Amino acid sequence: MRSMLFIMRKHLKNIIKGVFKKPLLLIGYLFIAIFVVIMLIAAFAMPSGLIRKGSNDLYIGIVTIVFIFMYYTTFKLGIDKGSTYFRMADVNIAFTAPIKPNHILLYGFIKQLGGTLLFLFIALCQIPNLKNNFDMKPYGALMILLATIVYALAYPLISMLLYSWATKKSGRKKLLKRVIDVFAVVIVVFVLLSLAQTRNIVDTLGAVFDNPIAKYFPIIGWTSSIAIASINGFTTEFWVGLFFMFALILGAAVTLYRMNLDYYEDVLEGTEYLEAAVKAKREGNNITFGIKARENVKQKMSGTGASAIFHKHLLELRKTAYVLFFDRSSVSVIIAAIVFRLVMPDESQILSLSMILLFALYMLLLLQAQGRLGSELEKHYIFLIPASSQEKLFFATLGEHIKNLFDGTVLFILSGILFKAPISIIVSCIITYTLFGAVYIYTDILSRRLFGRVHSKGLLIFLKVIVNLLILIPGGIAAGIVVAITESELLMICALAGWSFVLGVTLFAFSAGILNNLETAS
Amino acid sequence: MLKVKNLSKKYGKVLAVNKVSFEISCGEIGVLIGPNGAGKSTTIKSIAGLLRFDGEISIDGKPNKSIEAKRVFGYVPESPSLYEYLSVWDHLEFVARAYGLQDWKDTADALLTRFDMDDKKKKIGKDLSKGMQQKVSICCALLIKPRMVMFDEPMIGLDPKAIKELKEILIELKNSGCAILISTHILDSIADVWDKALIMNKGEIVFNNTRDAMALSGESLEHIFFSKTEEEETEQ
Repeated sequence: MRSMLFIMRKHLKNIIKGVFKKPLLLIGYLFIAIFVVIMLIAAFAMPSGLIRKGSNDLYIGIVTIVFIFMYYTTFKLGIDKGSTYFRMADVNIAFTAPIKPNHILLYGFIKQLGGTLLFLFIALCQIPNLKNNFDMKPYGALMILLATIVYALAYPLISMLLYSWATKKSGRKKLLKRVIDVFAVVIVVFVLLSLAQTRNIVDTLGAVFDNPIAKYFPIIGWTSSIAIASINGFTTEFWVGLFFMFALILGAAVTLYRMNLDYYEDVLEGTEYLEAAVKAKREGNNITFGIKARENVKQKMSGTGASAIFHKHLLELRKTAYVLFFDRSSVSVIIAAIVFRLVMPDESQILSLSMILLFALYMLLLLQAQGRLGSELEKHYIFLIPASSQEKLFFATLGEHIKNLFDGTVLFILSGILFKAPISIIVSCIITYTLFGAVYIYTDILSRRLFGRVHSKGLLIFLKVIVNLLILIPGGIAAGIVVAITESELLMICALAGWSFVLGVTLFAFSAGILNNLETAS
Repeated sequence: MLKVKNLSKKYGKVLAVNKVSFEISCGEIGVLIGPNGAGKSTTIKSIAGLLRFDGEISIDGKPNKSIEAKRVFGYVPESPSLYEYLSVWDHLEFVARAYGLQDWKDTADALLTRFDMDDKKKKIGKDLSKGMQQKVSICCALLIKPRMVMFDEPMIGLDPKAIKELKEILIELKNSGCAILISTHILDSIADVWDKALIMNKGEIVFNNTRDAMALSGESLEHIFFSKTEEEETEQ
């Protein structure tokens, strides 16, 4: 075990040393540290429920759905590929060394504890928003973080056991996946049936998720009950959930630790998958990672010179989309925006589609912070095409603009019909959505020119999100002034669109040189 | 030294390796060759103790997954994967600790010097080129002074000097009594050093013979490789 602890100690030490060697990196991490401190203060010190006291049913519904979604996706992937705490370096160096497998597993488990920090960070960012909208207990933030830790510790252990069981006999994988799918379908059916009766989303959430079966349901109910203690207090469900999750984690860990361990094969596929995912993320391909390309797309490659890139992108977009350009990111933007609108406070509903627009822009920022162009810059082809840098940049991003226009059109026509919004608002929302997409894309490119190949992709994304938010502030202020003076939602959206157009053009002009050579891109 | 007996491995319903048996003796260099999908990687991973399998694999008379067998076994994987934030020296120190080595520093220094890595001791894994990572991977495997060592495509990514050095090391290891198994596609790269050839196709060993025996028939390894693998194709 000492040798495994040596790896962890050295790893941490070298990361810290590396950060101190690069001032820009240090500033970036300091920035993140300050952000975390502010979020921590906000999460723990800010009063709760001052702006609005949302119903407990809504809170319980949101929390339970989040955990259902997280467990569903991680278990399905876990059954298919196995779960892993390890990287290929562990497989190649540690697995083949004369170290007891259960010591290596323990090392993996300790590493996973470090991995929970990311989940905690994501959860931490949601707490101020939850506190604004719900009447949380003083220890509410702590309960949310506790539930997050419990989830982050439980899912890899359970996935590993499931995979281990599923791979021992053919047909088990399929069976397990079917069981999980049936379970998901049952929940959806319950929600729809209840919605048909109540015709109210909050009442539906209450009816489906605020009942003993849901609260005591193994794993999902137990984990949710811990988070729900943030508004309901230390109820019986909380103690039951905490006890069972603790027992489950301990039991699974001891089972894996004590069994006649031959788990290397079980984690090998998962580790290879993780390694491929990390590589895809580094190359900017994570938006399409894991998606099977369609082979029956009839579109042919066309275009000459720089426009060939555009046609290639169109073909790629079509191949990775379900229909036309409708893909995984379209689904997430649309579902998230509409759900957000449904659970939005009534007083905000006078602003028609604006709230959906703002939320969709936020979602787009997170999705596009990764940037599809990144994968293009990792390869040499784009630099070799005999065309000007401006021309290449235009065509290399045109596909993304069309994709955003497509997503925006689907989202706002759909929500426009749902919420009976005027056509002028729908059109202005679509245009604004597309223009903001352009701002995000060109900020991404400019960030690459400014910061270069930052050693951490996470840090680069963080910086890009911050830069985007900063440059969009004037547009937000202008929109606020316009709506205050004119009380017109249309003009407010137009103000946002106008500012994003100016920004988009300016950013394009500054970032065009990125395709001059590989050095400017990295 | 290495004994593989009736090794079979199934992935779901696919039989990747079917009752493979072979031996590599002390001081012998075996070369495992075969077309893509022949089952070489599965065989290699099984020997390295990374997969569950049917059959028996022993190293130095001990089951390959036992601590005793691992203590004398060195492995150089096809794609070198280093710990991103561990320096070159840290990797060697980890191996020394994991294998309980004493007085390893001089050996480590000598290995790094042979592979022109002595000035890269403090470089961390993620800052090394693929070729340099491969060199570190080889140094890690050799540091333990293995009695059995397995290389999966060892020459890929290495510069000409490192290839020359590695070939010399293979001969030195062989002379010291170490059993060596090399899996590769590049027949030329091991032409001078192998003693036993194992050709795999469709999950089975279709040829297993020594250099001396083949010398009598006058056939080249390349010729036998194509005749054995294409013969199988034609029969299909």
